[in-house]
Amino acid sequence: MKTLVVDDFATMRKIVKNVLKQIDITNVTEAENGKQAFDILRGDPTFELIVSDWIMPEMTGIEFLKACKGDDAIKKIPFVMVTAEAQKDSVIEAIKGGVDNYIVKPFTPDKLQEAIQKAIAKAANQ
Amino acid sequence: MDAGFVNAYLVAVQNVFKTMLQLEIVMGKPSLKKDRLTMGDVTGVIGFAGDKKGTFSLCFSKDGAIFVYKSMIGEDAPGITPDVVDAIGELTNIISGQTRVEIEKLGYKLSAALPTVIVGHNVEINFITKVPVIALPFTFQAGTTTGEVYLDFSFE
Repeated sequence: MKTLVVDDFATMRKIVKNVLKQIDITNVTEAENGKQAFDILRGDPTFELIVSDWIMPEMTGIEFLKACKGDDAIKKIPFVMVTAEAQKDSVIEAIKGGVDNYIVKPFTPDKLQEAIQKAIAKAANQ
Repeated sequence: MDAGFVNAYLVAVQNVFKTMLQLEIVMGKPSLKKDRLTMGDVTGVIGFAGDKKGTFSLCFSKDGAIFVYKSMIGEDAPGITPDVVDAIGELTNIISGQTRVEIEKLGYKLSAALPTVIVGHNVEINFITKVPVIALPFTFQAGTTTGEVYLDFSFE
């Protein structure tokens, strides 16, 4: 499964990649912010999963989510938000923005795997 | 200072350490910070704004920072590498998020800036608040070694 992992912290990209590897997702491209990620997707909309942070420089995760869901070529790619933003307003904003699943840091590997698998299943049923 | 803020940090730090690092962490006695200097070698700093404004810092010794990196990633680091600095920044960011959830329960909405990480001992940090800085010392057990973490914060 071709996956784009977006986070300004290399540490979190590594953690997410390690979790993805445990569910046999190894075809992973990394981006450091929403702008870089959106440019990658516009050049290659064949990605099958997006896992993104929220607070990032240049383009935040919520801006990136809205850009993805507003682009016909990209909007069907399952989008999982992995973020430290756990406040109610943030969760509501992400749901309104069309996020397929939302997981709050800190998380265990099991929780992230479950969130990703639910997002993939949800997108497959749409 | 509202004791609720101290409790917010306690809950956040314990939750993050347990979930991300599989470590039980214990808080010592809170006190008023008497100087403006960092207590360790690697310090993550984040500012908050919103219903309150303030800053908190999370300070590790060199060995403590390397241990955190290894616990998060599963890889050794030879010293305070950019990867270790990145890990402390991310850990600070996650604690910031959890703390803001706890503070929201007290009725205050806060947003956070991007974290900054300072490398160096006895570095002066100026919290841009008029109220005192609260120091929260934490310890955790890593094998036979006791690790220390220093969390300082100030809100007004």
